[in-house]
Amino acid sequence: MRFSRTPRTPTQLAEPSGTRRGATRLGLQSRLLTITALVVGTCLGGVGWVLDRAFNAAVLAGAEEQLRAVAYGLLSAAEEGEGDLAFATELGEPRLSQPDSGLYAYVQDANGRVIWRSPSIIASGSAIAAQPVLVKRPAPGESFFGTAEATGDTARFAMAYTVIWEAVGSIEMTFWVLADQFPYRRQITEFRRSIALGLASAAAAFVLIELAALRWGLAPVRRMAGRIRRLEAGSRPDIGDDYPRELSGLARNLNRFIHNEKANRERYRRAMDDLAHSLKTPLAVLKNALGERQSANRDMMRDQVERMETTVAHQLSRAAAVHAAIPVDSIAVMPASARIAKALKRVYAEKDLVVELAHSDLAVRVDERDLLEMLGNLIENAFKYTHKRVRICAHEAPPAADGNEAVAITVEDDGDGIPPGKRHLVMQRGVRADTATAGQGIGLAVALDLALLYGGRLEIDDSDLGGAALRLALPRGR
Amino acid sequence: MRVLIVEDEALLAAQVDKFLRDQDFVVDMAGDGEEGLYYAREVNYDAAVIDLGLPKLDGIALIQTLRREENRTPVLILTARGDWRDKVNGLEAGADDYLTKPFHMEELLARLKVLIRRAAGYASAVVEHGPLRLDTSRKEVSMAGKRVELTAFEYRVLEYLAMNASRVVSKMELTDHIYEQDFERDSNVIEVFVGRLRRKLDPRGELKPIRTIRGQGYRFALTAEQR
Repeated sequence: MRFSRTPRTPTQLAEPSGTRRGATRLGLQSRLLTITALVVGTCLGGVGWVLDRAFNAAVLAGAEEQLRAVAYGLLSAAEEGEGDLAFATELGEPRLSQPDSGLYAYVQDANGRVIWRSPSIIASGSAIAAQPVLVKRPAPGESFFGTAEATGDTARFAMAYTVIWEAVGSIEMTFWVLADQFPYRRQITEFRRSIALGLASAAAAFVLIELAALRWGLAPVRRMAGRIRRLEAGSRPDIGDDYPRELSGLARNLNRFIHNEKANRERYRRAMDDLAHSLKTPLAVLKNALGERQSANRDMMRDQVERMETTVAHQLSRAAAVHAAIPVDSIAVMPASARIAKALKRVYAEKDLVVELAHSDLAVRVDERDLLEMLGNLIENAFKYTHKRVRICAHEAPPAADGNEAVAITVEDDGDGIPPGKRHLVMQRGVRADTATAGQGIGLAVALDLALLYGGRLEIDDSDLGGAALRLALPRGR
Repeated sequence: MRVLIVEDEALLAAQVDKFLRDQDFVVDMAGDGEEGLYYAREVNYDAAVIDLGLPKLDGIALIQTLRREENRTPVLILTARGDWRDKVNGLEAGADDYLTKPFHMEELLARLKVLIRRAAGYASAVVEHGPLRLDTSRKEVSMAGKRVELTAFEYRVLEYLAMNASRVVSKMELTDHIYEQDFERDSNVIEVFVGRLRRKLDPRGELKPIRTIRGQGYRFALTAEQR
C-alpha cells in the first residue's frame, strides 16, 4: 500500500477563476441584456422607419391634395378674355395674392409661354418668376405632381394640370401651382423628433424592465454563486436548497457531492488513524524488545525500526492532510494558537514561560486538524527551545504566488535561534538542529509539507526576542 | 513510587510493566478504561500512564472523569496518532504530558519522573533537603556531601517521604507506594526500613530526618535551614 500523494505545486493550486474573472467574459446578465438591447433597438428602429415612411407619404399626399385644390380653384376662377385669359380678382386662395407667401401659380400656353402669373410671383424677386419649372408639361387632361427643380432656389412642390380651353378656340393651357416645401418638411422633422423621443423612451423602458426581470430571474443563480464563494471561503457548509425548480437538481447534486467529499475525507482519516494505531503499536513493541535483547545486530535493527517509524509518522501526517477539491472551513488562527499554548504550558510547566498572544481576528482556509498540526509543531518547537518568552501573532501577509490573500502566523522565542546554515536542514524530516532535546525531528518538516499542500509556505528567521522566528503563511479565510 | 498503566495492547503493556518494575516502580496494569478508572479511584498513584485509544472508556473520558472527581494524579497520555488534536484534547481534559507511540522506554521513564517530581513541587531531578541530597534520576543519596548506600526498598521509602515532605505519611500509604498490591502488609517491615534509614542518614542522631508522629505515621523533617 502506498500513501504518498502527488505533490501539488503552489502554482497548480492557484485558483484559475481568479484570472478568468478579470478577463473579457461577460456575465449572464450582461449577455441577456446585450441581446435584449439589440433586439429592442432593431425592432423599434424598424418601427420608426416604417412610421417615418408612412408619415412622409401622408404629408406628400396632403401636399398634392392641397395643390390640386388650388389648381382647380384657379381653373374655376379663370375667365375668358378677348383671346386671352383673365382671372377674377378673388382667387379663392389668398396666399396667391400675397407676395412671397410660399404659394405661387402661373399658366403656360402650348408653346411654353407664360401667359399668367399669380400676384405672389409678380411681387416677389423669386427665381421662379424669371424661370419656369423645368418639368415636361403633362398631356392635356393629365396632371403632374412632384418637386420643382428650380436651381438655386427653395425646394417646392409643383402641381401641373393641362386643359384644352375650348371656349377660346381650343387653346391648350397648363396651370402650375407651386408651394414651398419648408412647412411640410418642418412637419416631418417635428414628427421625426417626437417619434424618436417616443421610441427611445420605449426602448429605455424595455431595457429597464428587462434589467429588473433579469435581476429577479437570475437572483437564484446569483445566490448560488455567492454561496459557492462563501463555501470556498469556508464560511458555509453547503450551498443550501432554496432554489427554483430548474436549479434545485443542480443544487441537490452539488450539496450531495460536497457532503460525500467531506464524508470521504473523514473516512480516509479514520482509515489513516486505524493504520497509525495498527502500525505504531507493533513498532513500539518491536523497538522496546530490541532494547532488551543483547545482539550484534541490535543497533542495526534499532536504526531500521527508527527509520520505519519516522517514515510512517511523516507519511501519515502528509496523507492525513486535507487539501481536497472541496474547500474547507475557515478557522481563526489566534484561538487555535491559544488552545495549543495553554495545553503546552501544562507540559512545560517547570519552564514557567511567558507566552504573548497578539489579538487578531484573522482566519485561515485550512482544515482545523491540519492547522492544529502545523501550529502545534511550531509552538512546541518554540516551547522546547525558548528560555523564557514565546510570542505568537497573526497578520495579513503579501499574497501567495497564486495571487490569493494570505495570513502570516509568526511564532517567536528567545532561545538560541537556528543558524542560517541549518535552516533548510531543520525542515527536512528526521533532522534536528540539536540532539539534546527529545523528539523525532519531523515537526517542522510536517508543518512545511502541510503548508505547501495548502499553497502556503514556512520560513525561518531571527526574532527580535533573540531566538528563532518561524513564519507560516496560509491562505486567508473569512 | 506507584504508577498505573492503562494500555490495551497486552505486549506493549507487558514491556512497560517490566521496564518500570526494573526501575523500582510499583506498577498496576489496567487493560481498558473502566478497569483503569476503578484502579485510579481505589489507589492513590504517584502517576498514571493512559493510552488514548482504550476499549470501554476512552483515555480522554477517563482523564476527564478523574479530574472531575478531584483526582490530581499526574497523567501522561500515550497517543498512536501523534495528532495534535489528540494531544491538545488530552491536555485540555487534564493530562500533564504526552508521548507519541512508538517511544523509547527511557523517554517514558524520564517523563514519568518529571511528572512525579513536578507534582511534589520540585523542578529539578535533584531534591535537596538541608544536608540531604537525593538524585532521583540516578537514585543516589548523599548526606552533607557523603554518599549514603541504600537498598532499593530503603531508597523507595526515603524518596516517597522526601517527595511528600510537607505532610504526614501513614505506614499504610507508604506500604501502598513501595510494595505490590499482593504484598503481605506487615507494618513492622516499614518500621524496620525506617529504622535502618535513620541509622544510615543520621548515625549520631543529631538531625532526626524522619519523625514518628504517634498514631499517624512519619514525617520527613529536614528543611533547608538544617545545615
